[in-house]
Amino acid sequence: MYNLFNSNKIFFFILFFSTLISISSNSWFGCWIGLEINLLSFIPLISNSNNLFSTEASLKYFLTQSIASLNFLFTILIKLTLMKNFEMNNFLTIMMNSSMLMKMGSVPFHFWFPNIIEGLSWLNSFILMTWQKITPLILMSYCMNNYFINIIIILNIIIGAIGGLNQTSLRKLMAFSSINNLGWMIMSISISETLWIFYFSMYSFMISILCFFFYILNMYFINQLFINNMNFLVKINILINFLSLGGLPPFIGFFPKWIIINFLINNNMYLMTFIFVMMSLIMLFFYIRISYSAIMFNYMKNKWFKIYIKNKYFLFINFFSFFSITGMILSTLFFY
Amino acid sequence: MMKFLMMMIFMIPLCFMKNMFWMVQMMLMLMMFMFMNLGVKLNLFCNLSYMMSCDIMSYGLILLSIWISILMIMASENLYKMDYYVNFFLFNVIFLLIMLYLTFSTLNMFMFYLFFEGSLIPTLLLIIGWGYQPERIQAGMYLLFYTLFVSLPLLIGIFYMNNEMNCMIIYFLKFFNLNNYLLYISMILAFLVKMPMYFVHLWLPKAHVEAPVSGSMILAGIMLKLGGYGLLRLMIFLQEINMKLNYIWIVISLVGGFYISLKCFCQIDIKSLIAYSSVAHMSIVISGIMIMNYWGFIGSYILMIGHGLCSSGMFCLANISYERLHSRSLYINKGMMNFMPSMSLWWFLLMSSNMAAPPSLNLMGEISLINSLMSWSWISMLMLMLISFFSAGYSLYLYSFIQHGNYYSGIYSYYTGVSREYLMLMLHWLPLNILVLKIDYSMIWF
Repeated sequence: MYNLFNSNKIFFFILFFSTLISISSNSWFGCWIGLEINLLSFIPLISNSNNLFSTEASLKYFLTQSIASLNFLFTILIKLTLMKNFEMNNFLTIMMNSSMLMKMGSVPFHFWFPNIIEGLSWLNSFILMTWQKITPLILMSYCMNNYFINIIIILNIIIGAIGGLNQTSLRKLMAFSSINNLGWMIMSISISETLWIFYFSMYSFMISILCFFFYILNMYFINQLFINNMNFLVKINILINFLSLGGLPPFIGFFPKWIIINFLINNNMYLMTFIFVMMSLIMLFFYIRISYSAIMFNYMKNKWFKIYIKNKYFLFINFFSFFSITGMILSTLFFY
Repeated sequence: MMKFLMMMIFMIPLCFMKNMFWMVQMMLMLMMFMFMNLGVKLNLFCNLSYMMSCDIMSYGLILLSIWISILMIMASENLYKMDYYVNFFLFNVIFLLIMLYLTFSTLNMFMFYLFFEGSLIPTLLLIIGWGYQPERIQAGMYLLFYTLFVSLPLLIGIFYMNNEMNCMIIYFLKFFNLNNYLLYISMILAFLVKMPMYFVHLWLPKAHVEAPVSGSMILAGIMLKLGGYGLLRLMIFLQEINMKLNYIWIVISLVGGFYISLKCFCQIDIKSLIAYSSVAHMSIVISGIMIMNYWGFIGSYILMIGHGLCSSGMFCLANISYERLHSRSLYINKGMMNFMPSMSLWWFLLMSSNMAAPPSLNLMGEISLINSLMSWSWISMLMLMLISFFSAGYSLYLYSFIQHGNYYSGIYSYYTGVSREYLMLMLHWLPLNILVLKIDYSMIWF
């Protein structure tokens, strides 16, 4: 959050508007320009000269993203020279889609994603996990290669779930969870754009609560959850939000999954739905592993290690968690 | 129906007030009284409002869940005395009750699934939150993932159903007949795990052993019945495929029930013995439902209600000993008749109900189930005979092991039963044995 209050804040606006440039542009070149501006405005946000990790992360981010945009530029130039207007072939769409997949850290090109997120603050991770996915997803939806994308979706779902199993770093866990959710998002955007907006906004909502939590509690690893003495309500809120993110029924996180599963079944994609659902079970497993300390009210604590966390934003957290619990009911107010 | 939901929702603030522990229970009792006077006497859906309604089948199970919730609060007085997150406990109970109420009263298949899953979270919280040993994490994980692993295919199945017949209203299911193996598996298996059937029962003893008394009561009392309720509701539109495949579950349940009854004799933990005994009872219920005849349906319904009251009462008894001796081992809990002679009567009454002694609902249910199974095949007589015999056997074994013999010489201090506990046991036993006088309500719901 400190980034908000120093001179970097101008880059937030550039980041914001660059996305709007590329998703509202009507030429591929404009999209590319938006992507480049986006990259160059995110770099100053993540690099912090006092922190070696974030500097390294910003360098890695620059390299991967520039390779991806290079590919993208290459593809659109080939399309410009070789193809007529409104014409795409298989090769070009796969090329296009892959560069976009690389941009958002989707599976075959996902290796940079957990690595980079390890050097980021929670706020930046939040931006990386949500806002930075908008442009590539929208651009990808313009020309999707369905066979290719279906494989990518399944890979995303599976690798996101399996990859997160053995992690201890909360940011990496969140990164893998985001990879898994990316599968859902690509699926939803290949069904309809409104569905994607719905899923994406719900996902961002849940992720924002969690990132904010971990930001104010200053947590980066799973074992910190056991060391610190948290307020009981904060613990319950962590639990609820993780269960919600895992998509358990009474909470709001189930809502987008429900809608997407419904659409998938209506489109007769049974096997895909089965994979989605079973992998979300694995996701739920490691979400619950994070919230062990919350779900057990009492556990063995070191007496000599007392860190009491002051919660300045307590009301704020409770407010958001209230939405997590009652969201399913409240959603009827929003959507009908 | 809406008024009860509203009543429960507005009881939530009451849970967070200080010293309102008994008040919540009293309000629940008031609600129970109001609900009892609802007068659902038809075998059709009555009291329709806001996608909720109840016929006899859901009426009895809602009554049972409110009743068990009242007794749960009553049984966990210890939390109140120790002030061990008591407000959150009350909230948990109320939330669980809301979920169960909605599960049993909803008319929509999807809503049924939603609340069916929703009741899992408070149960998980009860086990992991208020349990005793560190192993409660493992037990909770078993509970959660056994249930979710099969209930997520149920979700897919429900949407598939919606896609096929464009409606999810439970009442209209009877007009459809879907003949699809995968749909059948995905629909049935979730409830079979919840019941639990023999091969997928492993989560149940674990969860019971780790759960606090309230968790055990609600698990044995209601959560197992959710599975039975779902099966009773869903059997109707799978009729054709039921005819082909149901014998598998019947066979597994009958043989498994016999194995589990034998397994009961090997237990040294009171709670785990009771848990295994409920698996054995549920196996008869499963086979009764799977037979798909009238006797089977009413028998399984009656046995579910009876077993809900009876096993919940037995878990109360186990907890009463546990609170005094801090052990559930059969080798420490022995000779209890020397300390609590009056409690011995309650042990006897509930154990005799568990072995289906005459005035109890369990007997009624077992007779109907035996009727239905015998009408299917006389070979099932063998297994039924063994299950019935051994269920009497392990109940007697548990009773005599705990009550008779020398008491454990390492006991330092002890105190006798308090009137709250006697009242609680009375409230378990009385409906169990008095409902049989008006059993026609339970037998004409179809």
